[in-house]
Amino acid sequence: MEDLARVLKHVDIKVATDSHIYLKDPDICKDCAEKPCTLFCPTGVFYWDKHLNITYEHCIECGACPFGCPFNNIIWTYPPGGYGVEYHS
Amino acid sequence: MNKKHFDCIVVGAGPAGSTAALTIARENMSVLLIERGTSPGAKKLFGGLIHRSAVDEIIPGFWERAPVERAIVTDELWLLDQTSAVKIGFTGLNYAKPPYNKFSVIRYKWDKWLADEAVRAGAFLLNNTVVRHLVTEQTGLKAKKFIGVELDNGEQVYANIIILAEGANAALTEEAGLRKPITAKNLSLHTMELYSLPAKKIEERFNVGPNEGAVIGAIGYPFAGAIGKVGIWLQKDTIALTVGALLDQIVTGKLNPYQLIIQTKKHPLINSLLAGCKLLSYGSHTIPKGGYDTLPQLFSNGIMVVGDAAGFISGRRGADLAMLSGMYAGETAAQAHAKGDYSTKVLKAYLNKIQDSFFYKDIKASKESSDYFHNYQDADFLITKTANELAYEFFHVGLENKKEKMKKMKNIALSIQPVLKTSEDLYQGVQHWGFF
Repeated sequence: MEDLARVLKHVDIKVATDSHIYLKDPDICKDCAEKPCTLFCPTGVFYWDKHLNITYEHCIECGACPFGCPFNNIIWTYPPGGYGVEYHS
Repeated sequence: MNKKHFDCIVVGAGPAGSTAALTIARENMSVLLIERGTSPGAKKLFGGLIHRSAVDEIIPGFWERAPVERAIVTDELWLLDQTSAVKIGFTGLNYAKPPYNKFSVIRYKWDKWLADEAVRAGAFLLNNTVVRHLVTEQTGLKAKKFIGVELDNGEQVYANIIILAEGANAALTEEAGLRKPITAKNLSLHTMELYSLPAKKIEERFNVGPNEGAVIGAIGYPFAGAIGKVGIWLQKDTIALTVGALLDQIVTGKLNPYQLIIQTKKHPLINSLLAGCKLLSYGSHTIPKGGYDTLPQLFSNGIMVVGDAAGFISGRRGADLAMLSGMYAGETAAQAHAKGDYSTKVLKAYLNKIQDSFFYKDIKASKESSDYFHNYQDADFLITKTANELAYEFFHVGLENKKEKMKKMKNIALSIQPVLKTSEDLYQGVQHWGFF
């Protein structure tokens, strides 16, 4: 996803110290055959490498992941106030 | 924050929340407007269309002062296939003059302006703040009322009425027990790229005058197996390209939103519109698409839900309906304040106002289209394919006579699917276009 990295350079994200996205039970992801979160996330926050990795630093806060996960295993909360994605002129 | 109690707290300074705060502040009530971004609209790249008639009711003649980009004069629907498009469109130059029809806006400018209107009317705006929980008080064995909010620093702030304008995710609305959990079936996911192009070039390319704009909606390409939608609209010197589909269909179709954007840009008819554009930004958001069946309970003791959190989306309209719902909730809060009663007895006036609104009737009426598109996931794709093949044949200058040509066209329709289903799909497609 070389291009996505290029696109993300155009997005300002103030990254908080702690992730605002986490899993209820990481073991559930092991049994998930399709791992759709690695596809439907618009900025590729989720990727599989032995376990499910969450690059919350790339999150642009569409809020789709908790609803797109077929096992309801993703908890997505708002980043702390003033953090996260920001658009301006 | 020094002040701990307000007449009203509004969660979220988007179009719905700021309008609620503005309406309440105009009644000389104290209102706290809470925004999680560094400023209102800072989180939003989307939602660039404002319909004049609704907003005019809230702020008469708003276009004189508001940061509007272009007055939309051209609306087109493209049925897009690999190398062709059947285009349905209208250009009305009267829409370029007062009182106008609709405007493109940039949300981080529009939302900021609207929140500033509320602040000028007396509202207190608190940026950089997330509301984590609601605070309740037991009023009986099973009854409770909502009395405040808990901020992300742990602090609690109290009010007689809480208005939730938190957007599509509506986590607090769920915490309040006012709605069922959202599912992928009633949410659509949209992704957008924003490009810059000099105003003059935009006007030449889209055949519009200075300050005039166009909106193009396209269906068919690049989607198969998902009801998707492409949107292109124009700001002063920027162009937005959006691609979206229902989340459950993105998930089961193994679609990647960014790849959909890439593929859409590759279409020759879209590619030429974007030639020479410079990428400015990339964003994504969800829109509630559950329709009537998933509307939440809109109020309870000391609380009301407005805007996207309440699922007030009808066709391509969202921001202006959000503002109207914010105004109704604000008016109801003022009535409750005057009576000193914040219970459901008075707050049900909000539901009455919503039920009397045109958009509630539209959302109710579009119930069947929602079912239709869930049942026929390939409807757009087939409609588009059929229409384009028929059009290719219709405009083709060949050597056959008219009777032969008609026969050929009939065969095209028949080869794609039984003719009855095709005409039914076309009819339903046109009928339910508003659903998008």
